[in-house]
Amino acid sequence: MYLSDEEKRILDGAQGEIAQRCMTFLRDYGEAAGAEKLVDIDGTVDVHPMADWVPQYAVTVDEVRALAAKGEKFKVPTFANKPVAPGFIIDGWETCGLPRNSDAEFHRKNLEILQPYMDMGMIPIFSCNYYLVSSFLPTVGQHSAWVESSAIPWANAILGARTNFDGCFHTAYLGKVPFYDMHLDENRKATLLVRCETELKSDMDYDLFGWAVGEAADIEVPAIVGIGKPTTSQLVKMNSALNTGGQVRMYHVPGLTPEAPTLEAAFKGNYQREISITRDDLRRVYEKLTYSTNENVDFVYLGCPHYTIEEVHRVAKMLDGKKVKTTLMVMTNPSSYQVADRMGLRATIEKAGAKLLSGSCLGALMELPAGKVMATDAAKQDYYLTGMCYPEKLDVWYGTMEDCINAAVSGKWAGVWR
Amino acid sequence: MTTETKKIVLKGRKVIGGVAEGEALVSKVPLMGWLNVNPQLGCTTERNHPLCGVSFKGKILVFPTPRGSGGFVSYGRTIAFGTNPAAFVYTKGNNLTVFAAMNAGVPTVTELDQDPVEVIETGDFVRVDGDRGIVEVYKK
Repeated sequence: MYLSDEEKRILDGAQGEIAQRCMTFLRDYGEAAGAEKLVDIDGTVDVHPMADWVPQYAVTVDEVRALAAKGEKFKVPTFANKPVAPGFIIDGWETCGLPRNSDAEFHRKNLEILQPYMDMGMIPIFSCNYYLVSSFLPTVGQHSAWVESSAIPWANAILGARTNFDGCFHTAYLGKVPFYDMHLDENRKATLLVRCETELKSDMDYDLFGWAVGEAADIEVPAIVGIGKPTTSQLVKMNSALNTGGQVRMYHVPGLTPEAPTLEAAFKGNYQREISITRDDLRRVYEKLTYSTNENVDFVYLGCPHYTIEEVHRVAKMLDGKKVKTTLMVMTNPSSYQVADRMGLRATIEKAGAKLLSGSCLGALMELPAGKVMATDAAKQDYYLTGMCYPEKLDVWYGTMEDCINAAVSGKWAGVWR
Repeated sequence: MTTETKKIVLKGRKVIGGVAEGEALVSKVPLMGWLNVNPQLGCTTERNHPLCGVSFKGKILVFPTPRGSGGFVSYGRTIAFGTNPAAFVYTKGNNLTVFAAMNAGVPTVTELDQDPVEVIETGDFVRVDGDRGIVEVYKK
């Protein structure tokens, strides 16, 4: 892989041992990926705090502490996605009911470890959909290094920025990333036309549609038509499912996404095939995500990806004056948690016996509430948590937010395909 | 190898160098990571997946593409538990497959001149030369 003279000097240790290790990682990663060179990040970096892609090149907490003490900063705007190593709850942990996470010492320690990263400039948004609340985003064409399933297509498709799934300390510290795959024009052209032949109405419809397209498109770039005018929450769900049911990092919706105003511009002569997604396809995915026959629900999980303030508002309206019989967790981003608190939504949710939490998810926490039967409105959480429990069986019901809240209030699953 | 054994040679791009050989374990459908792979057990734990619960320890793991989370890297974290595949061979990947391969540090080849998922079947004997980007398949 080509390295500039400046990059070679860093590789030779001119900027210290940590910079050298970061550059070694970028070189080895770039070579393994078949990249021709590195590119300067003119967009942003998004990291899962404490997570290292490859442990052999890890920068330890003590090393970061030493860098921060010297006043060193990240080279480019750097945002914290949810912490994953370990995952921990940012707000609401005191009464979350999970043994490890309701421990004050566990919480204090995890926050303390992140302090030097924040001293270096990491902005503590702590959310998988940090892109909704970060107040600063890359613009069309800017090279970035992000993480998280729903965030990657958000960056590439919705913003028109350019990122692979490779945000980390190393990219933030050097402000560079291997230049390949989603950074290159040729890999961003659509090959697959997806016609949506059913009217997408609910949030669940967009979740199911995203999954169905993901399965069909796999790692291809689809150009999608016929999805109407999704709300922000619906787009977040669709992006999450596209990159869980499949590996859709980039797509075009002419008229909606910035990189291709027309189908012609989306394909740029690269058209290979087309598929249609019908109501039957959504139903097939719905049935795949329904993985329970036991109607007695033990716990309900909402907020994957983290609920927007609008979704938290809807939950509070539905719970107002009611009492839940099961554990009900409602996860949002820490920014929206503060807003929900100010609005009195947290009080309404807690009065119903439910929990408003922020900054994590059950999959990242690797800790579940007591019980064997879960309900959720998120394809992503639904499909991963059974894998986490393997070889133990976890029953999962999948449905709308309303189905899930009704289940929490009655203790019984009554959701049906509509 | 008996003389009747059919040998097929695929040529691709090196991801990680080194040489490994062994029995192929082929996933016809994409592999999902994060919580749907268990590095301690050395298997995919995705419900509905044809290889759910099937150990890939010591195998030449052949798959078309990754899907889902960046937690795909856990296919490579298997190295810490000694449950890792002997090599990875895949049709098309991205940084998820690259990171998994870098973690395991085992020979890895991709972007081959024939689709490995079509050519290789579970049980075939496979030799992966990562440095030369060559995959030799001896049909069972």
